[in-house]
Amino acid sequence: MEQTGTSSRLTEAVQSLAADVVSALRSGDRSGVLCATAGPGADGDVALAAIRVLASDALLPQVLAAGPADPADLDVFGRAVRAFPPAPHSSPASCWSHWGMTRTLAALSRPHLPDLPGGPGTAGEPAARAGHRPGAGTEPDGAWLDDGMSWQDLTRRLAVLAPLAVPGSGCAPARTAAARTLDLARGFVRAVRRRDWLQAAGAARWLALAPDVPASLGLAGGLDFVQYMGGQDTRVLLHTDAARLMLTGAAV
Amino acid sequence: MTSTRLVHGVGANALEWLYAHREGFRLEVDADPEVGFLERFKPVGELAMICAVLFREGVAGSRQADLARRLLDHAWLQTLDGGRMLVRGHRTEPASPIPFEVYLPFRELGRSVPEMDYALGVCARLRAWQAREVAPVRRLGLSAFAARFGLPPDPPVAQAAAQTWLGRTPEPWTVDGHTAYDVTHTVFHLTGWGEHPQDLPADVAAYLTAWLPAWLDDWLDLRRWDLLGELLCVDACLPQPTLDPAAWRGFAAAQQDDGAMPAVREMPHGDPSDVFDVVYHSTLVAAFASVLATSRSLSRLAGAAP
Repeated sequence: MEQTGTSSRLTEAVQSLAADVVSALRSGDRSGVLCATAGPGADGDVALAAIRVLASDALLPQVLAAGPADPADLDVFGRAVRAFPPAPHSSPASCWSHWGMTRTLAALSRPHLPDLPGGPGTAGEPAARAGHRPGAGTEPDGAWLDDGMSWQDLTRRLAVLAPLAVPGSGCAPARTAAARTLDLARGFVRAVRRRDWLQAAGAARWLALAPDVPASLGLAGGLDFVQYMGGQDTRVLLHTDAARLMLTGAAV
Repeated sequence: MTSTRLVHGVGANALEWLYAHREGFRLEVDADPEVGFLERFKPVGELAMICAVLFREGVAGSRQADLARRLLDHAWLQTLDGGRMLVRGHRTEPASPIPFEVYLPFRELGRSVPEMDYALGVCARLRAWQAREVAPVRRLGLSAFAARFGLPPDPPVAQAAAQTWLGRTPEPWTVDGHTAYDVTHTVFHLTGWGEHPQDLPADVAAYLTAWLPAWLDDWLDLRRWDLLGELLCVDACLPQPTLDPAAWRGFAAAQQDDGAMPAVREMPHGDPSDVFDVVYHSTLVAAFASVLATSRSLSRLAGAAP
């Protein structure tokens, strides 16, 4: 029962935090989102776990704006990074999302943000360098997204890694997504048909970064549709908002 | 890669079932007027069309070719009484194109009925013929049918095709079971049931090449065998058929030992004639998909374009 209770509180915390991030994305007011979640009086462990679940998306407004983060927010984010390190047998998805958080933390902690995905000077950066930025650590195993994977599995896995789908990401999942746009677009069709709105929204995040999405997919309309049908889940809303910002070029 | 043997086997088995159940292709002479005498014509026309495709592609073994010939004879001589039932159907509902559509594949195989040819000449000249209220894909079918009969299609086939769901290449994630059938029939009409894959407009072919794999995956997962079979026919009509291995494996596995292909999920049970009505179409589709895919597969082996 206790487990169920914790799980339910975590689900609520994730939904609440995603809603806060969406508000910040829409309002441009980027300060204090994480402090409000995990500050004094908050359910500390659950709040940190919620940040770990959203991974780098907990600081998505700052990442997309390539703007400075509130030091207090960064402190909370850093605590979540340290509280949930990947275990030896953690899933590749967990390793990748943790790696992404480490990189985001390192990038946003620097005064001039030179290493931030989407930040100045990173567009088109050779992907091989991305994993060797100071503080980012070595990229996890990219074989998890190997070339021979079916488009269905590819979409499932990349959708889970949607927090890595930001401009200039340059990591192995980003390279895979860029190389397999049509497969990912098929996966988007599949996810929408199955009403798996979270997977559809996650796939759309990656598609929003791809220059070669077939026009017939109707990605912009697809984002609106997924948001309309699945937006009760604030994680879906977060992805559709992020994708729309990247698609329209509003994100740096 | 999909095994040609597996694909061919689906068709061979389907034909065995169709021949064993040929009595199911029956007309209802005393049909309730509310249902209509023409209600049971459609299966006969579909049977004739599939047999015609089988002869045309020339990839059936001697056993299948023989069964197809006997099925066609049965449909013509027994079900349609040598064409007399077509005339009767037309006289019962003179405004309906159905008797002519059923007649067309027989006529193309050399079984003509002068009275039907004359009747068509009378009816197709009426303004009511073109004014018929139908869905865009049906309008395309009527134009394609007119062209095959040697009549001027009105509207022209390309114009009719542009008005269909597929012709407008909509967002592929909006497809549903109904529109998917509209898609398959648009392809069948445009390619002459797979005879001229090159007649598929380039934008439509590119659209299907991009999105058909997602649809095949979806309806395979839903175990909608009838629709999956039609989509496999569409695949075989593309410039580069995928002969999707997972879809073909699933389709073949759904087929019963006696060759019947369930329409959806499992085989139904009950009165044999009711079972026939539920599964005859999916079994015909299995034969159709098999012959087209086998033909494309052999063309690929031979290194020749279909």
